[in-house]
Amino acid sequence: MADVLYLFGIYGHPELSPAMKAVEAAGFNVHVPSVPGFDGKAGFTAPEQYLDWYTIWWDAIDALGSGPYHVVGASLGGMVAAELAILRPEIVRSVSLLAPFGIFDASNPGHDIYAEVSAKRPPYLFAKDVPDAFTNRFADLGPEEFPVSRYLCDTAAANMLWPFGERGLSKRLHRITQPRLTLWGELDVVSPVGLAQKWGGAQVIAGAGHLMEWDAPEEVGGKLLEFLAAR
Amino acid sequence: MKMMWFHLMPYPDLPENFNKENRSVWVDIDPALFDPEVMADTYDNYIGQLVFAEDCGFDGICVNEHHNNGYGLMPSPNLIASILASKTSRAAITVLGNSVALYNPPVRIAEEFAMLDVMSRGRLVAGFPVGTSMDTCYSYSENPGTLRQKYAEGIDLIRQAWSAEKVFAFNGKFTQLRTVNPVPRPMQKPGPPIWIPGGGSVETWDYCAQNDFVYGALTYYGYKQVRETVGGFWDRVDANGKDRNPHRLALTQFIGVADTDAEAQKLYREPAEYFFNRSLHVHPGYTDAPGYTTEASTRAKYKSQVRATVRAKQANHDLIWEEMVDNGYVVIGSPDTVRETLEAACTELNVGHLCTMLQFGNMSDELTRYNTQMFGDKVAPALKTLHAEWDDPWWPQYAVGGTHYGKGRG
Repeated sequence: MADVLYLFGIYGHPELSPAMKAVEAAGFNVHVPSVPGFDGKAGFTAPEQYLDWYTIWWDAIDALGSGPYHVVGASLGGMVAAELAILRPEIVRSVSLLAPFGIFDASNPGHDIYAEVSAKRPPYLFAKDVPDAFTNRFADLGPEEFPVSRYLCDTAAANMLWPFGERGLSKRLHRITQPRLTLWGELDVVSPVGLAQKWGGAQVIAGAGHLMEWDAPEEVGGKLLEFLAAR
Repeated sequence: MKMMWFHLMPYPDLPENFNKENRSVWVDIDPALFDPEVMADTYDNYIGQLVFAEDCGFDGICVNEHHNNGYGLMPSPNLIASILASKTSRAAITVLGNSVALYNPPVRIAEEFAMLDVMSRGRLVAGFPVGTSMDTCYSYSENPGTLRQKYAEGIDLIRQAWSAEKVFAFNGKFTQLRTVNPVPRPMQKPGPPIWIPGGGSVETWDYCAQNDFVYGALTYYGYKQVRETVGGFWDRVDANGKDRNPHRLALTQFIGVADTDAEAQKLYREPAEYFFNRSLHVHPGYTDAPGYTTEASTRAKYKSQVRATVRAKQANHDLIWEEMVDNGYVVIGSPDTVRETLEAACTELNVGHLCTMLQFGNMSDELTRYNTQMFGDKVAPALKTLHAEWDDPWWPQYAVGGTHYGKGRG
């Protein structure tokens, strides 16, 4: 079966989401890169420039040793997926973008979760309860190390996104030539659904928040499988 | 010990229910709360108080930089310092300081600080804070993950710019300049003494010790709460093989002096409550942008019960007067009481530069001058003899107490 590259979102990757498990169960080989910082491991230093991140991501993706991929990118990973499709089209067969960051709209600035203390951020990412996978991530490290790893993971994401402004994707978007699926959570407060029009052709997932794969796994999984099956 | 007079320059007219009806005094404070007429009078008063401090015998006067807030009205401390350079003649002009990563290119600081040093005829202390999370990451949107790298690189550039005898190019990660050649260069050679205000970052202790910079333990919570921070600093001084010269350390402290302890309790309660419950009412979500704190300091933070307690206090903004006094946030009392308390504290903590904060909250101009005069006349003389056995190589050469004071150029 074909290879799917999954690029995770703003809150890191505790485990494969229910929607992506459905994709895997349908026979796709789902690959997830291990990206410094987002793994919460000690010793992470943020790169100086936005472009430097793409050296880090490209190295992590190339280390998987597969491809070309059907790329599924969520949230922050959606922004990476769009850049990958634009800058390295030879390894992207199709691209599915789930509420990607990277384009700013003054009418839809969204709620800045980094203006909340760490413990209060997760509820903004979901329309439903925060999944245990996220709540318990790093918990096995103990009460002193757990918040450090959580902090490092947030540091990596914040460093890529700060200050949630335009990353130039609105100028580059037309360079995506591969088949594209764009999904947006109806109740997304971090990246409001009004932003979807800036990306063009987005389908709205009812009742879902920013990390929609967890809020609406069946609908999101179904949309992804339908799209992938046609490629 | 050097006696400094430190002004935070708070907005004095925030409403009584401010902390109940507003999320934060910092970053997104309602601009409608500020009256330009009140601001104009306030600047007049505050600048006058700083000048008055020199008249009262203080060795140095201090200003600092903050943005988007009602806690401190100095987005540009250099503007205030330039007035002080003109209106004073003896005291060290201590700018604590310019948040280096916010200046693009940072050679702007090299220029403005050199101007201040020349205008004050060699009396400048150059402070280089990282800047608070509220100022840097939220008000100026600096990327928290790279803030400290950019800050350190900027200081390198400034120091090179001050000391270079020839034009040079600078090829940093954050700043590239084809031609560095600031005019003027500072009067002090190789440059003004460098002080690094810090809030307890582990790396900052090493940075100061290794580079022979003064560490400024800038705390709102007084000499008792800062023990852990100061102890950590001196441990790193030892580990880096440096001496324990007390002048390596500066400490802030709120102080209120009156004829009697009872009178002091009466006079200073309201401005202290104003400061802690209004001026310091900061939304917790702004205090630590992800990446603002280094990994080592994050780890230390979660292991420190003391800091956890302070964090909880900060989050509440609902301190009561007795707590402020008992915990040493504010040193209040008669001249004898204040002197004895500070002498013991500065001996224990090994402080060589005491940055007194004699104006706080909505303290009136009259009370501020009274407090300043009382401290200058009845407390400072005894404290100035503390640590007299140590030289102070971190003091401006041409300020009172400096190596070149009264010797020509200054």
